[in-house]
Amino acid sequence: MEDFLPYLAVLLPAMTAAISTGAPILYATLGELVMERGGVLNLGVEGMMMVGALAAFLGCYHTGSPWFGLLCGGFSAMLMSMLHGAICLIFQGSQVVSGLALTIFGTGLANYLGTPYIQMKIQGFTALDVPLLSSIPVLGPIFFQQDVLVYLSYILPFLLWWLLMRTRFGLALRATGENPAAVRAAGISPGAVRWAALMLGGFLVGLGGAYLALASMRMWVDNLVSGRGWIAVALVIFAFWRPGRAVFGVYLFSGITAYLFRAQALGVGIPTAFLSMLPYLMTLAVLLASSLRGKDSGAPADLANNLRPED
Amino acid sequence: MEDFPLIRLEGISKYFGKVRANSHIDLDIRAGRIKALLGENGAGKSTLMSILAGRLEPDTGRISVEGQIRRFRSPKDAHLAGIGMVYQHFMLVDTMSVAENVLLGHEGGFMISPAQMRERVRKLAERYGLAVDPTASVGSLSMGERQRVEILKLLCRECRVLIFDEPTAVLTPVESEQLFTAMRRMAAQGKAIVFISHKLPEVLSVADEVAILRRGEVVDAFERSQVPDEAELARRMLGRSLFKEPGQAAFTGETEESGQGARDLQQVMSELPIARIRGWGGRAGRGRRIAQADSVLSLDGLSCRGAGTAGFSKVSFAIAKGQILALVGVAGNGQKELVEVICGLRRPDAGSLKLLGQDYREFFSDLPEQNGLGYIPEDRRGVASCPELSLVDNFLLTARKLFSHRGLLDRKRALRATRALIADHNIIPGNPQARGRELSGGNLQKLIVGRELLRNPRCIVAENPTQGLDVAATEEVWRRLRVARESSGILLVTGDIAEALALADYIAVIYRGKLVDLFSAANQEKVDQIGLMMAGSASAD
Repeated sequence: MEDFLPYLAVLLPAMTAAISTGAPILYATLGELVMERGGVLNLGVEGMMMVGALAAFLGCYHTGSPWFGLLCGGFSAMLMSMLHGAICLIFQGSQVVSGLALTIFGTGLANYLGTPYIQMKIQGFTALDVPLLSSIPVLGPIFFQQDVLVYLSYILPFLLWWLLMRTRFGLALRATGENPAAVRAAGISPGAVRWAALMLGGFLVGLGGAYLALASMRMWVDNLVSGRGWIAVALVIFAFWRPGRAVFGVYLFSGITAYLFRAQALGVGIPTAFLSMLPYLMTLAVLLASSLRGKDSGAPADLANNLRPED
Repeated sequence: MEDFPLIRLEGISKYFGKVRANSHIDLDIRAGRIKALLGENGAGKSTLMSILAGRLEPDTGRISVEGQIRRFRSPKDAHLAGIGMVYQHFMLVDTMSVAENVLLGHEGGFMISPAQMRERVRKLAERYGLAVDPTASVGSLSMGERQRVEILKLLCRECRVLIFDEPTAVLTPVESEQLFTAMRRMAAQGKAIVFISHKLPEVLSVADEVAILRRGEVVDAFERSQVPDEAELARRMLGRSLFKEPGQAAFTGETEESGQGARDLQQVMSELPIARIRGWGGRAGRGRRIAQADSVLSLDGLSCRGAGTAGFSKVSFAIAKGQILALVGVAGNGQKELVEVICGLRRPDAGSLKLLGQDYREFFSDLPEQNGLGYIPEDRRGVASCPELSLVDNFLLTARKLFSHRGLLDRKRALRATRALIADHNIIPGNPQARGRELSGGNLQKLIVGRELLRNPRCIVAENPTQGLDVAATEEVWRRLRVARESSGILLVTGDIAEALALADYIAVIYRGKLVDLFSAANQEKVDQIGLMMAGSASAD
C-alpha cells in the first residue's frame, strides 16, 4: 500500500498540470473542429500554432500586454488559415498538400524569426485564483487556480456547441461540411461559409499557440509547439467532430501525459525519449482507436473535398 | 396585377457551344395552375427550368415576374422572386433532421430553437398534406419522404412557383399518388406548379395545362381539357418525329439514316480480327467455350451485407436463356447490392452464384469478352461512363477487348464502330469526339445499351434501363432488350411496374433485401398486388 502513496500524491499536481497543458490543445482542437465541420481539412495546425505563438510572444514582448499578444497570436494564425483558404477555395489546390506545406512553412518561419529571442522572458498570463471556488478542496486547486485563458477555455466548448447547433450560421456550417450542393440550393454560398469557418477556426488555433508562449512557457524557445498541433488534428477525429467529446479527448490526453511525466520524476523507469515520443504515439493510438468505428465515425461527408465551381 | 401571369418567359434561348438547348421559348406560368412540360430527352426541358430557377443564365430573352422584368444571376435571385425547384437528385443533408434541412438558408434571426423549428415544419407539413416526421434524420427516410422534405423547403420559403423535375422517377405508385394530391392542394392554395415529365398518364391525371418541347422549342401548348386521351397526347408530344423526320439529320450534323447505321455496325464488327477468327456472335472468347447450359444465371441462398446498408439475404432465383426476369422494388431495398454481386463488383457473404453455369469465382477470373456478361448500370454518369471522356473512349470502356490487337487499341476501327453505333441508335449529338457529359441522359443511355449489346452477352443485367427516358427512347431500349433475349437471359432491375409487365416473363419483388415473391408475369392475381408487395405490406404466401 505504502508503495503506491507517492503515485497517488502526484495525482493532484498532475491533474492541475493536465488542465493547463490541455488548454492550448483544446483551443487548437476546437479551431480545427470548426474548420472540419465546414468541410475544410487543415493539416497546417502545427504551423499555425507556431506562428501564433511567435506573434503572441512578440506582441507581448514589445508592448508588455499579454492581451495584445493574445490578439496578435489569433490574427496571425487567421492569416495563415486564409492562405490555406486562398489555395483551396480560390485556386482549388489540394487541401492535404496545402495543409502540410502550411505546417512546414509556419514552423520554419517562426523558428527563423524567433531565433534572436530565444530564452527571452515575458510577463504573460499568470495564475489567477477564482474567489471562493478556488478554496474548494481538491477541485479548487485543479480547476480554479489557473490563468484566465484556462477559464476562457471552460466556456469555449459551450459557446462553440451553441454556435454549431443553435444558430443559423452553425446550421449552414454543418450543412456545408456535409453537402455544399444543398447549401447552394438553399441560396447560401458554401464558399463564404467555408471562409468564415477557416477564419474563426484559424483564430482559435492561434489562441492555442499564443497560450503556449504567454502562459505555459512565458518565454521563447525553439519548436515551442512540438507536435501539439498534430495532436489537435488527431483529437478532432477522436472526438467524432463533436465539441463535447473534444473536451473529453483533450483532457484524457493531457492527463495521461502529465501523469507519466510526474511518475518519471518519482523515479519510475520511463525513458525520456519515450516521453517525448508520447504525443506522436498517442496520436497514432487515437487514430487507430477511432478508425475502429469505421464508416460511422461522424466525419463530415464532404470533408477535404474542394467545392466544385457552380454547375 | 391580374393582367400579368405570375411568370412570363419571353424569347428564351440558350446554347451550349453549338448545341441549341432552348430556342425562342415563350411560356406563361399562372398561379393556382399545374403546368406540365412534356418532351423527349434532350428537348430542353431541364435547361429551361434551370434558367427559371436561376442556375443558368439565358443567352437571350427575358423573364418577368408579375409583369416586372427580372434577371436571375443565381438560384438566390430566383428564390427571392419566389421560384423554387425540386431537383431529381435531392439537395439534402442526410445527417441532419428534416426540420434542419427545411430551415437551412431560411431567412430569420441568428438563433434557432429546435423545438420551434420542429413545430413550424410540422404545421407546414400538415397544411399541405405532406406527412413527414420533422425530427427524423433525412438519411433514414424513403425517397418519397425525402421529396416531401424538398417540397417543404420551398413552401417554407414561401415560394410561389414550384418546379418539379421528373418527380415520380423515384417514387412508388402510392407515393406518386400522394404527391399528386399534394400538388393539387398546393395549386388550390394559389401556388403555381410546373412539372417536367414524359409519363403521359401522369400528365393527364394531374396537369391543368400542357406545353410540349421538342428540340429546344415549344411546339405546342394547350389546356388539359383539349386532349381526350393518352393516344392524342402521345401524338402531340412525338409529333412528326414519330415518323422519320428529315430535320433530325440536319440537327445532328450527320446524314445517315437509321438502317444505314446498323449495316455499318455489322460491317465494322465483321471486319474485326477477333470476329474473323472466332466468328462474331459465334463462340466464346479466348478459345474457351462457355457451356451452352440453359441456365444463364442462378442464385441460391445468396446473401451479402451492404457497406453501411442492409444489403440482401437468401436470394434465390434462376434465369434461363430466352427469359427476362424483372426484379421489382423501391430503390434502396437491396437491388443495388444484388446487382453489384452478380456483376462481380462485390463479394457475396454466403450462398452460391452461377453465371452461364460457372461458379462466379471461375467466371470472373477469366471473363469472356464475348458472349459473357452485359451490364447496363443505373448510374449512367458514374458507373457506366466517364463524363470527361469522348464517346469513342466511353464506347471502348467495355468493348476495348474487341478492338485490341496484341495489346494495342485499333482506334480507327473503334471510331468507325462508334460512328455506326451513333447512327444506328440515333444518338444526339452525333459527334463521336463529343464528351460524355455533353449527352443528355437518354442519349447517353442509348450509347451504353448499344455498347453492352455489342458483345452479344449471354447474360444481361439491366438496372432501371429506361429511368428518365422519354417514350420513344424507352420503346427503343425495350425493343433492343426483346431482341437480345433471343440469345440471352436478362435480369431487369426496375422500380417501374409498367416496365416489368412490358418485358418480363417472371417477376420477383424485393423488399428490405428479401424476395417477397416470385411469379409468372401472366399471374394476374399476383401482378395486381405488386404495388403492395413493393411497400412491404402484402404478405407473401
